[in-house]
Amino acid sequence: MTPGAAYDAIVIGAGLNGLVTAAYLARGGLKVLVLERRTIVGGSAVTEEFAPGFRCDTARHDVGWLSAKIVGDLELSGRHGLKLVSAGDDVIAPTRDGDCLLVPGSDTDSLRRFSSADADKWPAFAARIAKLASFLEHVYSGPVPGVDASSFADLRRVLGLGLRLRGLGKHDMVELLRTLPMSVAELLDDEFECAALKGALGAQGITHICQGPRAGGTAFVYLHHQVGRRAGAPRTTLVPLGGIGDLARSLADSAREAGAEIRTGVAVTRISMKDSHATGVVLGSGEEIAAHRVVSSADPRQTFLSLCEPAQLEPEFVRAVRNVRYRGIWAKVNLALDALPKIPGLPVDGHGSSSVVISPSLDYLERAYDHAKYGRLSEHPYLEARIPTLADPSLAPPGKHVMSVHVQYAPFHLRDGAWDDAARTALGDRVVATLGEYAPNLPGSVIHRQVLTPLDLETLFGLPEGNAYHGEMTLDQVLFMRPVPECSEYHTPVRGLYLCGSGSHPGGGIAGGPGANAARVILARGAEPA
Amino acid sequence: MTTSRYDAIVVGGGHNGLVNAAYLARAGRKVLVLEARDRVGGAAVSEEVFPGFTFSVFSYVVSLLRPEIIRDLDLPSHGLHVLPLESTVTPMLNGDYLAQWGDHDQNRQELYRHSPHDADAYDEYGQLMYHMAHAVKPILAMVPPDPTSLSPRDLLGMLRFGKHMRGLGSTKFNALHKLMTMSSADFLDEWFESDPLKATKSASGIIGTFLGPRSPGTAYVLLHHYMGELDGVFRAWGFAKGGTGCISEAIAGAARKFGAEVRTDAPVARVLVRGGRAAGVVLANGDEIAANVVVSGLDPRRTFLQLLEPNDLPPDLVTTIRRFKFNGSSGKVNLALSELPRFTCLSRNGADPTIALRALRGAISISPGMDWVERAYDDAKYGEFSRRPYMDIVIPSMIDPSMAPPGKHVMSIFVQYAPYALNGGWTGAKREAFGDTVIDTISQFAPNIKTAILHRQVITPADIERITGLSEGNIFQGELSLRQLFFFRPAPAWARYRTPVSGYYQCGAGTHPGGGIMGASGRLAALEILGGA
Repeated sequence: MTPGAAYDAIVIGAGLNGLVTAAYLARGGLKVLVLERRTIVGGSAVTEEFAPGFRCDTARHDVGWLSAKIVGDLELSGRHGLKLVSAGDDVIAPTRDGDCLLVPGSDTDSLRRFSSADADKWPAFAARIAKLASFLEHVYSGPVPGVDASSFADLRRVLGLGLRLRGLGKHDMVELLRTLPMSVAELLDDEFECAALKGALGAQGITHICQGPRAGGTAFVYLHHQVGRRAGAPRTTLVPLGGIGDLARSLADSAREAGAEIRTGVAVTRISMKDSHATGVVLGSGEEIAAHRVVSSADPRQTFLSLCEPAQLEPEFVRAVRNVRYRGIWAKVNLALDALPKIPGLPVDGHGSSSVVISPSLDYLERAYDHAKYGRLSEHPYLEARIPTLADPSLAPPGKHVMSVHVQYAPFHLRDGAWDDAARTALGDRVVATLGEYAPNLPGSVIHRQVLTPLDLETLFGLPEGNAYHGEMTLDQVLFMRPVPECSEYHTPVRGLYLCGSGSHPGGGIAGGPGANAARVILARGAEPA
Repeated sequence: MTTSRYDAIVVGGGHNGLVNAAYLARAGRKVLVLEARDRVGGAAVSEEVFPGFTFSVFSYVVSLLRPEIIRDLDLPSHGLHVLPLESTVTPMLNGDYLAQWGDHDQNRQELYRHSPHDADAYDEYGQLMYHMAHAVKPILAMVPPDPTSLSPRDLLGMLRFGKHMRGLGSTKFNALHKLMTMSSADFLDEWFESDPLKATKSASGIIGTFLGPRSPGTAYVLLHHYMGELDGVFRAWGFAKGGTGCISEAIAGAARKFGAEVRTDAPVARVLVRGGRAAGVVLANGDEIAANVVVSGLDPRRTFLQLLEPNDLPPDLVTTIRRFKFNGSSGKVNLALSELPRFTCLSRNGADPTIALRALRGAISISPGMDWVERAYDDAKYGEFSRRPYMDIVIPSMIDPSMAPPGKHVMSIFVQYAPYALNGGWTGAKREAFGDTVIDTISQFAPNIKTAILHRQVITPADIERITGLSEGNIFQGELSLRQLFFFRPAPAWARYRTPVSGYYQCGAGTHPGGGIMGASGRLAALEILGGA
């Protein structure tokens, strides 16, 4: 306990996880203060005007699985006005010869045109993947105790997971254990022949990691992104109406209603510590705020190495934190368009898919990665583009459109040069040119573009090295290893200091997952021991 | 049908088959080993390829041979003599070299020259790997339980496995988890900064795999190769006197002494199955030989899909074995040399000439930097052999002069990557082009190599497959990737050396723990057969 503290908990950062933690803690009866550096809440999940009259999800346009439990517990969709709408299951994958595959989703008619064998195999494959993902879903819904777990709660959870694993049945259990360390290329090559299908699905296995589709563990990343989706679906189906920022807005409303206080425009510069116990935070203004607990949604490196005083931590622990790999490899390009891009398969009437994936084959992805491996922007990058104005025309002036493009690979660490203005322009040019190869009218319809390099993503959104997940989702950095074993269950070697960001289990791409688990652990621990 | 009936027939006289036969014979079983080639050894053979020049044609170094096997079979008395390989020297692109010496102080001094940080980290790293190797060692000697089975034996096995893991404590367990899942590049980045050091160490993580040093899963292979350093510090890697074929001969000698019969030039066409039970084998010439037990030392693809009829097996297993990855990725070039190669980095002005001589008694690793090795992989990913391959070079005649005529030498060059599935397939012309690439690359570091060559033998993965029978030329009988280890090797529920055909067993490197001249698979399979008989 911190004597005289006005708050039970201070949450650093009002990203989705920070807000979820705050909302749960406030509902649990704690007096909570959330501190956000930017002037709006949401972290990297914000919807902003990037050109006069054009709005879009500035950084991330897909925050992955938002569990129904969080939506229900925090009354997001009813009371707090969150409207989740279907953006369709399918994704359009244009091919170089002007054709396009509609990646299922549910509808395999298009796939059948490319390969009837693949279309026949699809339902069973989707069902198998869904089953494996549903096991992960369970693993993600709570902390994962390490090998030396000894508390009753830990052991109960380990036993529960073990039984659930056995409950999968012999075949699926083997399948799961076999699949996790595989490469997504192997997973798909074992099954399918259609290059466009494998390219589009394989891209999910490399999203936000600095690996190609032939790297071991990318099958796990693929499964990770499948959690909470409709069986096999290549994208998150339900999206917040009005943009991803509305999810953050509803979370903030829910937290405030439960009594949490949210202050924006205030940067935390230090976590105050006394006798290796967190006692509050110090702001950029020099103001010090005392609290019984500090919960950081910042990434582990920032939390321990810049907000804490590393000298007060064990050297081994500091070394482990330093070794957490971030390696951001994505960039974001937002385009204001005065015409809808002419991409085959793209609906003009607003019904159907609004997602386009440029990843015509596994080799295309692998070659895109080859450049990043040596510190260069992909010559032919993998692009995942969304046109939110198809479902929600209010995001742009009448008749005009917005295209939000996830770009990979754009390595944070460039071998030659830096992410300066010239590199930013080159990145934007390359993305527009690549899109132009599939939609010839697109380059001419760009009215305005916003290009966010990995460095911009770090500077603007505090994403370390531009990594959206606060640490790569590789097998050595997930579950009880995330972010480092000593704090994989949200509490840290500093008493009274907790982690709740996506640097913690279950990691990035699970909206609010770490935040909800962290809140549960904090509430279960009750008052901080003095 | 011949009249003599055997307790067990071992198909394939590779080192695992021979170890298996020796253990079975030692337990009093009447054993027959059938080898297709004219000599035993499989991929561990010595051959006089050119008059006066003897080569360990395929596998060329030994470190992993299990000490209990050496002991149980008393291999030294059958001629096994391992000569130490004391150093690894990496020529660098800037004309310098990086050496790793057996002598601790000298090694530290050399590393310090390149990076004081790495010199300090080296000992700590060695300690960790030592502990990790110790943590894994009992697993290598464990018959993998079936995690999906509820039989008391498997549950007990899982419990033992779990207890072992928990017993490691969280620090070691977590370190082991990292080793199992990380790439060797990332793992080494946590320890070292010197590029040639990391490249050379990571290279041992990619041997025999179709993965690059930046691919997750390669850190484990790093450890796999570290195992050898358990028993006596720098006995680590060595040559067998007379070549690796002498290891096979020694094991065969032990097997014979215990009463096993070893027959060469006797290729087996298929296993006889009667009423779901193995009843013997049919040779390629049509002869049938009866036995109660048949053990296959061949790789999983041949063991299940070639020696059996598809309807002998459950369809699920057939699918799993078809998906078992081989992806042969390495080739071999054997050179007969008129003189020693002169590596520029070792003969620079002011260089100590004794160093040059000592270096040639060890391994020369062509792995000047991480990018070199990674780019070598890039070529292979798209179906080409590496334009600048990673190579592990040894000159056995430096240590064992009997391998070459006086004053002359044999050089063994392990080359990666040479993909089995080469674009357009392996032809004679491609083989020669591959050989030329290897020589050109070496001449970049040792310019006199071209004029020193008297003869050369180029072995592609397709050649390895054709000659030794190893599917796709994979030297480990299947990739040592995480999804193909322990209870997955070669297939879940069939990792305990058994098969769905009662009396038909597996004992090759395609089973746990697999890979390298280790013999552990052959031994564990024998124990399983004897225990279950």
